[in-house]
Amino acid sequence: MSITRRQLITSITKGGVPAAVAVTMGSKALHAESEPLPNAAVALLYDATKCIGCKACVAACAQANDTPPDVRRDGLHQEPYDLNDLTRNVIKLYKPTDGSPSSFVKRQCMHCLDPSCAAGCPFQALHKDKETGAVLWDSAKCIGCRYCTITCPFHIPRFQWVGFNPRVTKCELCQHRLAKGLKPGCTTVCPTGAVIFGPRTVLLDDAKKRISQNPGRYYQDRVYGEKDNGGTQALYLSHVPFEKLGLPELGPESVPARSLRWQKRVYEYFAFPTLLYVGIVQVIRKNFKGYEEELHEEEKKTGLRAQL
Amino acid sequence: MSRTIQSHVNSNPNRWERTVPVYGMPVMTRPFQVLGILVLLAFLFSAYRELAGLGPVSGMNDAFGWGIWKTFNIMVLTALGSGAFALGIAAYVFKRTKLHALMRVALLTSFLAYACGLMLLGIDAGRPWNFYWIVFPWKWNLHSPLAEVAVCMSIYAMIPLAIENLPPVLERYYYLQPAWRPLIKKTENWLHSWFPWIIGLAYMLPAMHQSSLGALMLLAGQRVHPLWQTPWLPFLYVWAAAFMAFGCVAGSTMLCCLVWKRPLDLEVLDEAANITAWLVFGWSALRILDIIYRGQLHTAFVLDRFAGVFWLEMLMVLGAAVLLRRSIKTHDVRAMWIGYVLVSLGGMVYRFSPTTLAFRPDPEALYFPAAIEVFMSLGFIALGVVGFLLAVKKLAILPAPTQAWLDMASYARFKRPDIQLTGYFDSKREFATSNQYD
Repeated sequence: MSITRRQLITSITKGGVPAAVAVTMGSKALHAESEPLPNAAVALLYDATKCIGCKACVAACAQANDTPPDVRRDGLHQEPYDLNDLTRNVIKLYKPTDGSPSSFVKRQCMHCLDPSCAAGCPFQALHKDKETGAVLWDSAKCIGCRYCTITCPFHIPRFQWVGFNPRVTKCELCQHRLAKGLKPGCTTVCPTGAVIFGPRTVLLDDAKKRISQNPGRYYQDRVYGEKDNGGTQALYLSHVPFEKLGLPELGPESVPARSLRWQKRVYEYFAFPTLLYVGIVQVIRKNFKGYEEELHEEEKKTGLRAQL
Repeated sequence: MSRTIQSHVNSNPNRWERTVPVYGMPVMTRPFQVLGILVLLAFLFSAYRELAGLGPVSGMNDAFGWGIWKTFNIMVLTALGSGAFALGIAAYVFKRTKLHALMRVALLTSFLAYACGLMLLGIDAGRPWNFYWIVFPWKWNLHSPLAEVAVCMSIYAMIPLAIENLPPVLERYYYLQPAWRPLIKKTENWLHSWFPWIIGLAYMLPAMHQSSLGALMLLAGQRVHPLWQTPWLPFLYVWAAAFMAFGCVAGSTMLCCLVWKRPLDLEVLDEAANITAWLVFGWSALRILDIIYRGQLHTAFVLDRFAGVFWLEMLMVLGAAVLLRRSIKTHDVRAMWIGYVLVSLGGMVYRFSPTTLAFRPDPEALYFPAAIEVFMSLGFIALGVVGFLLAVKKLAILPAPTQAWLDMASYARFKRPDIQLTGYFDSKREFATSNQYD
């Protein structure tokens, strides 16, 4: 017995609708859910109570990444205003006017477990390293759309505004040094040990130990980055509120997981769009036939060639 | 069927029955030349931008990574150019058959808006040579709204939308080049047999990328003001594109009819006005309910620029909808035109807000487009207008009563006796007979 086209379409639809619905509803939302934390995940632990603001890490970072020092402020000193196209790592000062405690803060990429920049990056130029978990930038895939500068909740990636071959500058955890068995540049020079490098699990334990040994010293007795934004690989301890240091309260769910849940589900294996397409074409086919007949009627009546 | 057509003819002498070129008009008019100079300037500046980088030509900075090229020429103007999508769905899916009269204007404006927008998108990209990844689907980040926009928009503009715009071109050469007729007929037959599948694609893809344009700003999180930042943003974006497109297509058709002295078919315009008004009412209801549900209504009553922009948007679109509803009853063409323009403008402000007007970078920063940036933006808009002016004079785009076609035929008989514009001479079809007007 042969199958007619109608039967074929009907049976495909019968199987296709539940399959598409299942795929759409069952897809996972978090990158971290589908891709577990790599065993070799490394991290930075920054303790704001130890930092003396010497900016040795800023110079070391530029040196390690072979970047010319940013002397655009006064033409003499390496004093970047903020992270920029020459600066992957910067020390900033939070100093309230009412005399309450001040603090330095080291800003660099947080290396989120579920990074917004990589979630938005159209051709996977920004991606998470499979081994170390560092968020890396691939110059061969970046189209320079600057979406990462919009999506990053920490406002880290910076675009080079001048020149025909612009780059996206952000901390890549000195990937070239890790490959040689060296530590990231910033962690090699810190005189007080305010920023240290190591496996994420070890540093997290270390941070929690510091909190338990110094009750009342740290803000909310909390490690920023343990769960914030789905977890980050840069961990922060501070004696002043984290928002004051430019670390917003984002909640335990990552930004992509929270906001792109339906975007991800709807496009999972393209199941839902395909279903909708086939459905809509069936309606159009019927209506188009009627319209074509109407056109021919009018053609007959006026004697003028029909226009689609 | 024929009886209904007859009754229309009798009751409404202005009925838009055919699309007719704006014949007998010079293309090289003064406005056309001015626009052409703007286009040339934009091309020159583009070359400079490719060498110098984005900083020297634009006001973009680290806080506002996106300037008007993306936020206006893409986000706003492709929404205005969603006519092919919005009118197409109304006509072919929901059987609002009167709207077929406006279809060619909708298709042309869509194609021009998308083509010019995509060109500027290529210039806006910092590293455009890496665009070649677009041909390797396994390199796409399918869950990125921007990848979805980039891939889907280019496919849409280059394949289904371009094919939908073929019939007027084929028609022109059918009349001008009798030798090509067999080939043109073959193409038309092929087009007719695949048309539902092509236009189905032409409705799927815009629904996808117009909503993804909204999804783009979801990832910006708290930086977009809560009056705009909502999980419904993709839905509101595609909905806004629908009523903006109606406003743009109907409004620009009315303007063309005024300029080139064509009658207005109020049956079609009333239908479009009615649909536009109800789209606006539904959209506003959803938007306000969503704001109330999220508990952010109080931010609309704070005296700041965000509340100001919000009320401007709402008053413009709702005022336009009321104006349109009233003009259907009063047949006030002027009020109807203002309604169409207002609904487009209100939608434009809405689509512009999340990326620019309601975008709050931290630390606070300002963005104002630089002069070259504005010139390039205008230049690529001018390119679309130039294309429109050229197309309506060379192709049958603008709707008119059948009499206009017959007038054109007599005009052509005088100017170009070799062209025959009347008479349907297809020997294969049984209804091909001599025509009554000849």
